[in-house]
Amino acid sequence: MKNNILQLTLFLGVTAAIAGGALAYANNVTAPIIQENNERAEKATLLEMYPEADLSEFTAVEDDGITSEHPTIKKVYQYKDGIVIFQCEVSGYDKGTVFLVAINSANGEVDNFKTISNGDTQGIGSRITTDEFRDSVLGKPSDGIDTLSGATITSTPVVEAINECGVLAGEIQ
Amino acid sequence: MNRMENFKNGLIKDNPVFGLYLGLCSTLAITTSLNNAIGMGTAVIVVLILSNVIISAIRKIVPDDIRIPVYIVIIATLVSIIQMVIEAFAPALNTSLGVFIPLIVVNCIILGRAEAFASKNGVLDSALDGLGMGLGYLLAVLAMSFIRELLSSGGLVLTNPFNTEQVWMNLSLIPEEFRISLFSSPLGAFMTFAFLAAALTAYKSHAAKKAAAKTKEAK
Repeated sequence: MKNNILQLTLFLGVTAAIAGGALAYANNVTAPIIQENNERAEKATLLEMYPEADLSEFTAVEDDGITSEHPTIKKVYQYKDGIVIFQCEVSGYDKGTVFLVAINSANGEVDNFKTISNGDTQGIGSRITTDEFRDSVLGKPSDGIDTLSGATITSTPVVEAINECGVLAGEIQ
Repeated sequence: MNRMENFKNGLIKDNPVFGLYLGLCSTLAITTSLNNAIGMGTAVIVVLILSNVIISAIRKIVPDDIRIPVYIVIIATLVSIIQMVIEAFAPALNTSLGVFIPLIVVNCIILGRAEAFASKNGVLDSALDGLGMGLGYLLAVLAMSFIRELLSSGGLVLTNPFNTEQVWMNLSLIPEEFRISLFSSPLGAFMTFAFLAAALTAYKSHAAKKAAAKTKEAK
């Protein structure tokens, strides 16, 4: 009886070991592809900002406490010519705004801006997603941006976050 | 002859979904679109054939007392590998099938065939049984998703699972005011399932009556 239990345990152990080996091999083969897929999906919005860029030109910046010190900033990427791209999430009137802002760390100017989503009132807060706001920030110093009059509850946190990003961009580069 | 009979049984007469009522959870959940049905059906076929072959090959060395845990380890391993492959090469399919890929492990069709067939029959027979049952499952989810997608969205869409931008087929057949969105909900899933299962039962009893009449005549 004792022998039998030992034998059964051994058999199950060997089966599990073989299964584990097969899984490790499959994981080895697929993990890099999966990671590349995820990175590509993540960077797809960055490509919308800079359509002429290549995926490999964006490098994710190591977190090093950036996101815990600045809760509105979710991700940071570096792009060529000292441009730093921040993904930010701020609250607003209802669901707030998720956006990307690219800052030229050499002069602190906003190089590019793109909203990913906005859940505030249609026609008021949603103006943050239109070219009206985008055109008003492009080329401006990150600490000299005006809020949208009439949509201050939505645009103030966005402007503040861009300000914060401008300060950080200089430190990161 | 016997082999072909076995294979055909899984396809229609003993169809795992509408005949044996196995694997219903995933069937009801994923049949909202043809794309999902094809992806899930293919994954189940691959797992079924491989698990049947492996279990049949080792049936003589597996101690009887622990055969079920051994089968489960084998099935779980196969499913995990399939999931990694799908995630790597068809990420869109992985997102839309979500939790139902890992749940193939507990799909009773697979453990059921392992215990009822593969553990008692040869490798080739088991592979054929897996293919037949798997195709039966694919046929069932295709039939359900065809009805549900057509009635709820008014059309049928087929895309390349490896490249979602490549649309193979995009039909719009029913005008918007005649679409029944109920069919995309769980209630619609149960209704579609009930109608199809009833149809198969009606067909089977009709065939049985015919066969009985034939033998009576012969006497």
